[in-house]
Amino acid sequence: MTGAEPAQPPVSALEPWPDTVRWQPISRDLIWVELLRLAIVLAVLLLGLGVGWALSGHRLLGAALGAALLAGLWRTVTIVRAVHAWGYAEREHDLLVRHGLLVRRLSIVPYARMQFVDVSAGPLERAFGLATVQLHTAAAASDARVPGLRPAEAARLRDRLTALGEDRAEGL
Amino acid sequence: MSDRPPRPEPVGPWGPPQAAGAPPHAASPPHVAGAPPAGLPTEEPRQRLHPLSPVLHGAKSLIVVIAGLSWSTLSRVGFGWFVAMVVVLALGATVLSVVSWWNTGYHVVGRELRIHEGLLWRRTRAIPLERLQAVEVVRPLLAQLTGLAELRLEVVGGGKTEAPLAYLGVAEAAALRQRLLAAAGRAPGQPPAPVVAAAGPVPEVTGRELHAVRKADLLVSQLLTPQAFLLPFGVVFVVAQFLSEGSWSFIAVASTLTAMAGIVLQPVRRVLDDWDFRLAREDAGLRVRNGLLETRVQTVPLDRVQTVGVTWPLLWRWKGWLRLRLEVAGYAAGESDDRNRPDRLLPVGDLRTAEMIVDEVLPGVRLTALPLRPPPARARWLRPLSARVLGAGLGERVFAVRSGLVTRQLAIVPYARIQSVRVVQGPAQRRLRLATVHADTASGGGAAAYDRDLAEAWALAAELTARSHAARQVR
Repeated sequence: MTGAEPAQPPVSALEPWPDTVRWQPISRDLIWVELLRLAIVLAVLLLGLGVGWALSGHRLLGAALGAALLAGLWRTVTIVRAVHAWGYAEREHDLLVRHGLLVRRLSIVPYARMQFVDVSAGPLERAFGLATVQLHTAAAASDARVPGLRPAEAARLRDRLTALGEDRAEGL
Repeated sequence: MSDRPPRPEPVGPWGPPQAAGAPPHAASPPHVAGAPPAGLPTEEPRQRLHPLSPVLHGAKSLIVVIAGLSWSTLSRVGFGWFVAMVVVLALGATVLSVVSWWNTGYHVVGRELRIHEGLLWRRTRAIPLERLQAVEVVRPLLAQLTGLAELRLEVVGGGKTEAPLAYLGVAEAAALRQRLLAAAGRAPGQPPAPVVAAAGPVPEVTGRELHAVRKADLLVSQLLTPQAFLLPFGVVFVVAQFLSEGSWSFIAVASTLTAMAGIVLQPVRRVLDDWDFRLAREDAGLRVRNGLLETRVQTVPLDRVQTVGVTWPLLWRWKGWLRLRLEVAGYAAGESDDRNRPDRLLPVGDLRTAEMIVDEVLPGVRLTALPLRPPPARARWLRPLSARVLGAGLGERVFAVRSGLVTRQLAIVPYARIQSVRVVQGPAQRRLRLATVHADTASGGGAAAYDRDLAEAWALAAELTARSHAARQVR
């Protein structure tokens, strides 16, 4: 089976088994979705702080405003990098999902362990034509969530997951 | 099956109309974008829930609304305004339920059941019929009055019902249940209950007796807990305080006693629960019998054991004692009580007994001969004290990890029970080129091998995946 051989020394922390696994990136449009989400949160926060500052004139509120702006800028950079870091790969028997910048995570979920698959999309995601596929297993800890997929790709992945998971396996 | 008209418009893979918000640079090929990609020949039209269900949900929210507004509001705003508020809120809730009903649908596509939900936040859940553990028709009071029923679909692992269909007509619910169960290749009936628990006077343990815990050992072991150890100091402290203060107020005494009772309760309960602990081997699995006030007999199905945990509490070490626990997966219908889940394998015992029991639960696994290897020396930077205790190893049939400086713990996970494998690397670990490998199991934490060398972690993950796949094939 692919990738089951003991690994060669890995090139980077995000690239295990570089020669046997073909990582698929997720859609870059997810950056815009996440940025818009951040913008909405930031706008509400800044508005509240700004109004509070204007009314009370307290220096602390002004400082908080600046801090929120800085945090928003920093978050913008991380969003872009985090979306580039997301990736998934379909191997013969399992789905690989990797994500995270600060804490890097790789999940390996066998298709046979799949219990059910969710395809979901919020309003922002749908505006950009994106969807999220999440694979659920009997273990609460396993996380196999792939955001930022095109609907067609999401449907394909969903169908493939459910079809492959069907080998009438034990769920446990 | 239903007399309602099917939803007229074509439905995309996850609900929303394909043409609506998709940007022009959508990556999907044109022939896919037009028709739903899931257009299998077996696809049937989407069914809605019973038209009365929004009314029922609305009625439910009416009760919540009235309870939420409460009497104080009524007395403050007067009756007329109160009724107006209730009506407005209930109308709003009903409109929401109607919208949600309009957008909720289910259908069977090929060998899976799909449930669509939501207007703004859409979700499509695809459940392969093979994965359905049980399908129950439930009729709450309101549903009974209106002749409706709720269909609950139990998927394995999750403690709660994952996908309720509320509400359907009774006949429709029964028919769908039959159909789902038939498609799942299962006779309509109850799934085998994984745990058989019985309380009250029970017959003696049948089968081959494996081990009986000595009552004296149990008592001593619970005296060797931090609580029992600290108790004399607590008593001395309190008495000294009273003697120096010279005041014996009732409240002070009572509160001290309650605090002490709370601390002492746990060892006492363990003694009561694990009194006369007997373990026997049967065909179906292990039979556990324990309890002083309430004798319980439980059958542990060995093919459902997810994890075996070994614990060496600090104070037991000079006695050479340890405790064995296990995690069993599978839901038990109507068994919400956590205490009835079998989790104890050996409340107290020495290494030889534990080895014998582990060999019985996981044949071929030798507790003393697990190939545990320590993490690289630089793991000390992250865990200065406990790094030398850490260990992980791949046995022939199990993955074993050891951790814990004060309370040493060993977790044994059979490869066949691994649900997923994760590799997690924190920022500090990245600098040291270390990573943590998790093996997740249903119910419970599974096993985590902390701070392995990065190359080793990848190898470990690959090996765990391959071995768990191989173990599944064998079965």
